[in-house]
Amino acid sequence: MKSKVIFLTIISICLILPSLAIGQNVLIKNATVMTAVNGTKQNTDILVQNGKISRIGKNLNAGNAQVIDASGKFVTPGIIDAHSHAMMDSVNEISYAVTSMARIRDVLNPKDITIYRALGGGVTAANLLHGSANPIGGLNTVVKFKYGKPIEEFLIPEAPPGIKFAMGENVKRARNAPGQPRRYPATRMGTLEVMRDAFERAKDYKKKWDDFRAGKMRTPPKRSVELEPIVEILEGKRLVHAHGYRSDEHLNLMKLAKEFGFTVSTLQHGLEAYKIAPEIAKFGTGVSIFVDYWGFKIEAYDTIPYNAYILWKNGVVVSINSDSGERIRRLNLDAAKAIKYGGVPEQEALKMITLNPAKQLGIDKMTGSIEVGKDADIAIWSKHPFSVYTKAEMTLIDGEVYFDRKKDIARRSQLAAERKRLEAMEPNLPPNKRGKSKKPATKPKPKSTPVPEGGLD
Amino acid sequence: MKKHFLRFSIAIFALVCLSVSVFAQRGTYAIKNAQIVTVSGSNISNGTIVIRDGLIESVGTNVNIPADAKVFDGKGLTVYPGFIDANTNLAVQRAQRRPPSPTGQNNQPQSNSNYPAVLRPERMVIDSLKAGDGQFTSQRNNGFTTVLTGHSDGIFNGHSAVINLAGDSVSSMVVKSAFAQHVTYRTNRGGIFPTSLMGTFAALRQMFHDAKRLDEIKKMYAKNPRGIKRPEADPSLEALIPIVNGKMPIVFNAVTEREMVRTLDLIKEFNLKGIISGGHEASRLTNRLKTQNVPVLLSLNYPKRTLSENKEADREPLRTLRLRVEVPKVAARLKQAGVKFAFQSGGLKNIKDFFKNAEESTKNGLSKSDALQAMTLNAAEILGVDGQLGSIDKGKIANLVVMKGDIFADDKRITHVFVDGKLFEQPKKPERKKTATTTSGNAPSKLAQVAGTWTLTIEAPGQSIDSTLVLNQQGKVLTGTISSTLFGTAQIKNGEATEKGFNFDVTISAGGQDIEVSFSGTVTGNKVEGTADTAQGPASFTGTKNP
Repeated sequence: MKSKVIFLTIISICLILPSLAIGQNVLIKNATVMTAVNGTKQNTDILVQNGKISRIGKNLNAGNAQVIDASGKFVTPGIIDAHSHAMMDSVNEISYAVTSMARIRDVLNPKDITIYRALGGGVTAANLLHGSANPIGGLNTVVKFKYGKPIEEFLIPEAPPGIKFAMGENVKRARNAPGQPRRYPATRMGTLEVMRDAFERAKDYKKKWDDFRAGKMRTPPKRSVELEPIVEILEGKRLVHAHGYRSDEHLNLMKLAKEFGFTVSTLQHGLEAYKIAPEIAKFGTGVSIFVDYWGFKIEAYDTIPYNAYILWKNGVVVSINSDSGERIRRLNLDAAKAIKYGGVPEQEALKMITLNPAKQLGIDKMTGSIEVGKDADIAIWSKHPFSVYTKAEMTLIDGEVYFDRKKDIARRSQLAAERKRLEAMEPNLPPNKRGKSKKPATKPKPKSTPVPEGGLD
Repeated sequence: MKKHFLRFSIAIFALVCLSVSVFAQRGTYAIKNAQIVTVSGSNISNGTIVIRDGLIESVGTNVNIPADAKVFDGKGLTVYPGFIDANTNLAVQRAQRRPPSPTGQNNQPQSNSNYPAVLRPERMVIDSLKAGDGQFTSQRNNGFTTVLTGHSDGIFNGHSAVINLAGDSVSSMVVKSAFAQHVTYRTNRGGIFPTSLMGTFAALRQMFHDAKRLDEIKKMYAKNPRGIKRPEADPSLEALIPIVNGKMPIVFNAVTEREMVRTLDLIKEFNLKGIISGGHEASRLTNRLKTQNVPVLLSLNYPKRTLSENKEADREPLRTLRLRVEVPKVAARLKQAGVKFAFQSGGLKNIKDFFKNAEESTKNGLSKSDALQAMTLNAAEILGVDGQLGSIDKGKIANLVVMKGDIFADDKRITHVFVDGKLFEQPKKPERKKTATTTSGNAPSKLAQVAGTWTLTIEAPGQSIDSTLVLNQQGKVLTGTISSTLFGTAQIKNGEATEKGFNFDVTISAGGQDIEVSFSGTVTGNKVEGTADTAQGPASFTGTKNP
């Protein structure tokens, strides 16, 4: 019996040891640590154990952790993008004005190269949203960018579910092109009516089920994959992320929310939010903005680069998002602009791309800042993250390295060699060369700088 | 262009139909002295198979040949169970295959379904088949005796059927109908739900929920209708009841890893009896496939580069290059991991590639016997017809292929095909008309010089086809291509220059079929005339050499 226990103990130690060794335990040494909550700390170490930040301090003992020397480098929390369409095989379900039956979770592509590019910009998490064609759009998914892992591992189980709402031009314009079958609504008042109607329908739906469960009906009502999420909004279980540019729309939505007793988690875009900053602050909703991008359509005209500053000054939780597979790589510079326009303090600007989006997405308990007990979602920068000369050198999620600039560069020649080998193989030959010769094409390559390979594949 | 193609296909189709029925005979047969590959057990050398009334009456080495049997000497021949193509859209009538209008208006057959045409699972493929279709013949001539066939349009493709590839009526061909419901992840058109992939998933989910509820209410109603509103008679939802109850399989077309992951998630969510069709990245998901007990109908339509070289084009992504090289390894990996799989043609243009690509799998780790299993007994098992098909056993349906040479050999020749005990002798390759004495041993006579580019006009039945022939000559040997807007470009085979002109063979693909054509031409100056022989009959051609 006793020997059996010892045997099992040895076995379990053997099983645990290798899993500890693979990157979950890390000591980041001697960095300038921008915590996003407790200021910037010089020459500081961060000890990560089992994917969580276990200690922050000087001269920490590495123990069994892998050491990353970050002397002269800056460390920030991993960046969180509160508005992204990365990884999505479809963005808009434009058929109906209410498409809460559509789920982003169903169409995610864990191998989208955008993820790797985002990691290369220090981004560790994102809010993947349905498009803005409908007053009530599809259900969002909040993910960590665990590139190379199966899709299940991208999900954050603790993240509350959410949904996309949208108002304004995109909604009006969707399905209103000449010569095509039209769709209601075509106006802003119609948009609001569609939302109100959906909430009324959801209330009726809930009542039907309550009646059935109370034994008042013999046959079960129809399940509605459309209305179930809207019931969840009314029950406070689902976060609303509402696309809109104009302040009148924001005010209308807040009125509607009060009417039905739900809360709005973020006003997405909110280019005119500065006009009603006190009202927004009072209502308690967050705003997620482009820092200095406007004028691309009529409703996006009336903004100022001081939007972030004014909202912050009024106590609104502001985040800066990308809404783009390209700008997602440079959110650190967008945050820097909040300092330039109005003079948001450095830490507050950093929060706008880390802790604030985490708050808006309901994941601030586990990520968004460098604090003991939080997930080790960390970006290591070559220079100050708000410098145009900085580069993300390493990006870690749950203590595991998902982007390593040095390794990426080192791997390029290896990938180029692999490409050469693969391109010479039968199924990869152009049709006119196939079946003729097994030898690789010997034509000289055109003289141009080869584009480096990137990503895991 | 399209019209021409259609006309051409119809002409070929009609000829194929005519040429086929001539060969079909039914009766009592015995094949003796043959190598018998039973698949279910060990191979039998010098064995005998007796076929009676469409079934295998006996098989073995010590078998009495009945007096009434027509006896074949199988010396030098091998008998295999008829091959099964585990997923096709074979011979589904074109009128039905045309994408239906999104609202379901003007869409035959009329239905009282409440759902748009893309979401009508109630369709039955057997309503869209016609006995005697040329596609059956073409597939059968290549050794297939059974296929799973189904519609290809819509999100719900409808009910598929397992059919034998011969019979006077569709009902006599059917082995199992309906076999399964089929799903393809696609969207609706014209702005009608679902217009996006996520909408498609939502639509599937909603209909599965609705079918479950309908089933529940129908059961309550059957028990006692008093006090219950009578359930709707909705053919679409009714068709899904056996699916959500896990009684009928549901085949999902899923080729990529993420399509398969989504499928496995959906199968799990609704506890479906799922099958994956396609599966080019299935080897990455062997654990899940095994845990969830989901078999794979592995497509032998291996991806190949289709783009010609262009220095200005973006390079192909590394993952695409990797995938093309990896796909032939998938079968062996599935086998090793214990995932059940069968081969299917997956829309291959040339059905001969089925064997070529299956062989490719054997070069990448799959044993030949496992490859054979994947096109016989394993296919029958997944299709739920292994009791009557898939191996050479007493009492099973007499679906047999007799061939000279090994199944994977290039020079194999199928001599006989039995479907339901009906014998189809294979049309021999058209004999080439000897236009010149080319007997080896004789000193080579003066050969015609035929190298160059020729413009040919082939007088096919019903129309003339313009084509371009490019010939390279090295002594007697000719190589080159023949191309036309109708059948694309094909490499010529067995090309030889003769005293008076040239001979060559070519396989062209037209109308979903492969047609073997033997050209034989006589050259006079820069003109040529001759015949293009096919199994369906000869056509004449004329041409001139381009200066």
